[in-house]
Amino acid sequence: MANRLSKSLKEAAILPASVAGGEEVDGSTGSGITTYPKRNAHWGDVLAPYIFIAPFLIFFVIMFVVPSIYSFGLSFFRYKGYGEGRFIGLDNYIAILSYHVFWTELGNTIFYWLAHLLPLMIGAFLLAILIRSKLIKGQAFFKPIIFLPNIITIVAAALVYQSLFSTRYGVINTLSGIQIPWLENDDLTKWVVVILLIWRNLGWWMVVYLAGLSSINPELEEAATVDGASAMQRLYYIIIPLMRNIFLLAFVIDAIGSFRLFVEPNVLTSRAGSSLGTPEVSPLLNLLIGNLNNGSFGQASAVGWILFVIVIIVAAIQFRIFRENGVEVNE
Amino acid sequence: MAIKSLPVPANKSDQRYRLELYLKRGAAYSVLGILTVLSLYPLVVMVLNSFKSNAEIDLNPSGLPQKITVENYVSILGGPANLLGNFWNSVLVSTISTILAVFLAALAAFAFAKYRFNGRNFIFAMLLATTMVPGEITIPPLYLLFAKIDWLNTYQVQIVPSIVSVFGLFMIRQYMLTIPNSLLEAARMDGANHWKIFWLIVLPISTPVLGAFTILHFLSIWNSYLWPLLMANKSDVTPLVVVLPTLTDSQTGFTPIWGSIMAGSVLSVLPIVVVFVFFQNKFMSSVVLGAVKE
Repeated sequence: MANRLSKSLKEAAILPASVAGGEEVDGSTGSGITTYPKRNAHWGDVLAPYIFIAPFLIFFVIMFVVPSIYSFGLSFFRYKGYGEGRFIGLDNYIAILSYHVFWTELGNTIFYWLAHLLPLMIGAFLLAILIRSKLIKGQAFFKPIIFLPNIITIVAAALVYQSLFSTRYGVINTLSGIQIPWLENDDLTKWVVVILLIWRNLGWWMVVYLAGLSSINPELEEAATVDGASAMQRLYYIIIPLMRNIFLLAFVIDAIGSFRLFVEPNVLTSRAGSSLGTPEVSPLLNLLIGNLNNGSFGQASAVGWILFVIVIIVAAIQFRIFRENGVEVNE
Repeated sequence: MAIKSLPVPANKSDQRYRLELYLKRGAAYSVLGILTVLSLYPLVVMVLNSFKSNAEIDLNPSGLPQKITVENYVSILGGPANLLGNFWNSVLVSTISTILAVFLAALAAFAFAKYRFNGRNFIFAMLLATTMVPGEITIPPLYLLFAKIDWLNTYQVQIVPSIVSVFGLFMIRQYMLTIPNSLLEAARMDGANHWKIFWLIVLPISTPVLGAFTILHFLSIWNSYLWPLLMANKSDVTPLVVVLPTLTDSQTGFTPIWGSIMAGSVLSVLPIVVVFVFFQNKFMSSVVLGAVKE
């Protein structure tokens, strides 16, 4: 996943926390080094925290807040990067929404997301349960190996996948004995992207789920075992409900990351000489980059804000689904 | 699935129970064995192909090399495609960005975790809210900005926008909240000023979370592709990963030179994997510190 993409994957980690509790945000714990500011506090004591947050905030405002606002404004202008911009109202948005490539790329993005979502999440969860079970030894061996793909540079991984899935001599076709045109057929290419996404992220989510599982009080499980609950029952009635917040977190982070997907499909399908894949397999972000490369800064910004709206909608849907399921579980 | 701790049901013979256990165990190890192969194989292919000639890669892209050659490494390390420079660009940008990002986040996290001040909760809530906004939104204005101040194709354009991480701030703050106030008050009594308390007490205690964030941030910058592709595509400052997919035959202009690409990929992966081998638990716990808040 792209630089900022993976960063924000992780940035998004804070979401459920802030939504599902936000315990200290309202300062109820409120403890300071001492209780600053005191009535007769020294001015240095009052200023200290502001000085500590200032460098962060200054860069944050310059590099994120101002550009975001500017980008919102820009999305209502036609601006070529020089001269005067011209206010055109919603024309950029209308142009994008009536452009067939937008819908193709949105469809691709949704496909990349939904196609990898369940295999990845269910696989990682079952794997975490398996690796934690007393059935096997060698956790210390399997865990890092399954995690390893996650630290492989994404571009390098995508390039290697070109070798693995090459039509004539790639290992997949050699083993199967059939010449499947994996990277020459758009539909198949999309599945290769999905395989790459699952391959690279399985270990990541496995480790997350492992941490979640180990935070469950073992006495709960033991008690259920004593009461005669089978492994499946314990899984369904104890483990999964208790892991609900972690699932929510995982699904939301993964969704946000998926809508910002860029590197995997583009590098995997890169035909030499172009860093962007063909629209048939490209994710939505390509439209932003394509507009930027054409010097259509207004339209590029509009794509960004459409992306934002989609991310919000998707996250909201997931919160709702998980909340509804939560109510069921509690009953 | 605590199989061993399950009491053996009385109606089952010991033998049958054992057989079942062996079967389950066999299935479990098979799954893990297959996953081990699947996880490692692409990496193995990368290394193997980097030791094959270009002609051989075309005919044998996923098997053992018939004839081992180091020509790919010679070509990327000294030849026309000198990737060593790009490698150092990646190292430089990732390292400086990480140092600054950790420092800025830790500094702010300390204030948010351990001080009361007007606007604290508001500012913190606003910072959290912005994490829903995809960072790509800022690309068009930042591109215009950096073009205007002549920062395109520089190191700073790759570093400066990446040094504020709200995620890092949050992660470090969560950790710092657990530092007992009494410790800080004691230092205060002994006459330590704000900076000394931060630098000599809070930072050393926070090493685990700082390490975790260091790993996550370094990897994300090391993997950074889209940003430098747009902002720093000129080869004397371009990072390694942006150059890799563009290695094409200078004669035809569009045939990828797979040997060099694979050798370059190894170069991009090697330092991370070496560090991972020594600090694998730190890597994996960084995921946990980053993603799971307990």
